[in-house]
Amino acid sequence: MTERGPDEKEPSLSDLRDRIARIREREAAEANRQGRANFSGGGVVLRVGIEMAGTLAVGVAIGWGLDRWLGTGPWLLVVFLFLGGAAGVLNVYRAVSNIGLAPGYRFPGADDKKSGDGEGDQKDKSG
Amino acid sequence: MASPLQQFEIKTIAAANVGGVNVSFTNSALFMVIAITAITAFLLLGVRKRALVPGRLQSMAELMYEFVAGLVRDNVGSAGRAYFPFIFTLFMFILFCNTIGLIPYTFTVTSHIIVTFALAIVVFIGVTIVGIAKHGMKWFSYFFPPGAPIYMAPLLVPIEILSYLARPVTLALRLFANMMAGHTMLKVFAGFVIALGVAGVAPLAILIALYMLELIVAVLQAFVFAILTCLYLHDALHLH
Repeated sequence: MTERGPDEKEPSLSDLRDRIARIREREAAEANRQGRANFSGGGVVLRVGIEMAGTLAVGVAIGWGLDRWLGTGPWLLVVFLFLGGAAGVLNVYRAVSNIGLAPGYRFPGADDKKSGDGEGDQKDKSG
Repeated sequence: MASPLQQFEIKTIAAANVGGVNVSFTNSALFMVIAITAITAFLLLGVRKRALVPGRLQSMAELMYEFVAGLVRDNVGSAGRAYFPFIFTLFMFILFCNTIGLIPYTFTVTSHIIVTFALAIVVFIGVTIVGIAKHGMKWFSYFFPPGAPIYMAPLLVPIEILSYLARPVTLALRLFANMMAGHTMLKVFAGFVIALGVAGVAPLAILIALYMLELIVAVLQAFVFAILTCLYLHDALHLH
């Protein structure tokens, strides 16, 4: 508060509430990440296997189904076998990288970037 | 010695047939009803007194509520508040099904893949509808990773779509595989206890340790299912 210029108005209550909420959010996210890291130790092998096999099976099932529907021989099955394998590796990568349990669409850098943006916002508001 | 897989057998309690579809009331359905009754009783009795300083039961009910509320807040953000009832219901149902299944002579509903798949597909379809309703056509940009060169699209888009379609399968498989494997293992070791006579003390000790592990797995898998639902919901609400 002391670094504020004299011409700047006092921080309003809603401003303060926003800041508290932001700090709480970050703390919760931090705690959550640590919690997830702890949990990931035990069942990581089973999880990786399920991600890989499940995704591959979905690829094969879609390829087989499309082949039956379109009558295109074994070709779509072959294509989707490889696509399923690639998607499986992608899902495993997402599951075991620092995204934690999320096989979602965020990339490892996304979390850092987001918190960086948040800090930027905070600086903009307070500075 | 009874087969370790016998515990997963579906037994018809009251046979019923509606329009050629078998809608019999089975032991699986019975234990779903028991789980829901237990949840309702637990929550209703817990909040009945509405004490400012909560008693034991009220503390437990509030703990559950706050745990799931925190989960939704941390993983979906404030936009997820509307979906809290769904995630709370899902979490409590899986938690109670898993833990009730650990009581001897009961049936574990979540050890059948069709049950877990039904739960997962509800989550999957629901999340997809939420995503499309919120973002419209922009939602389909989901399947192209941001920052990738456009000529990679023919390869990346099918992989991302497959990766997305695999979600309900892996979500269902994870819960099912954990429950089924754990319960089979418990039964195998329980069989050893009887077969080995006095020396059965050794497998009994392992059985106790395994039971503790299964208790952790039962709670953890309910948590994992709920947190993954939260993360999928987060993706649908916020896209990239």
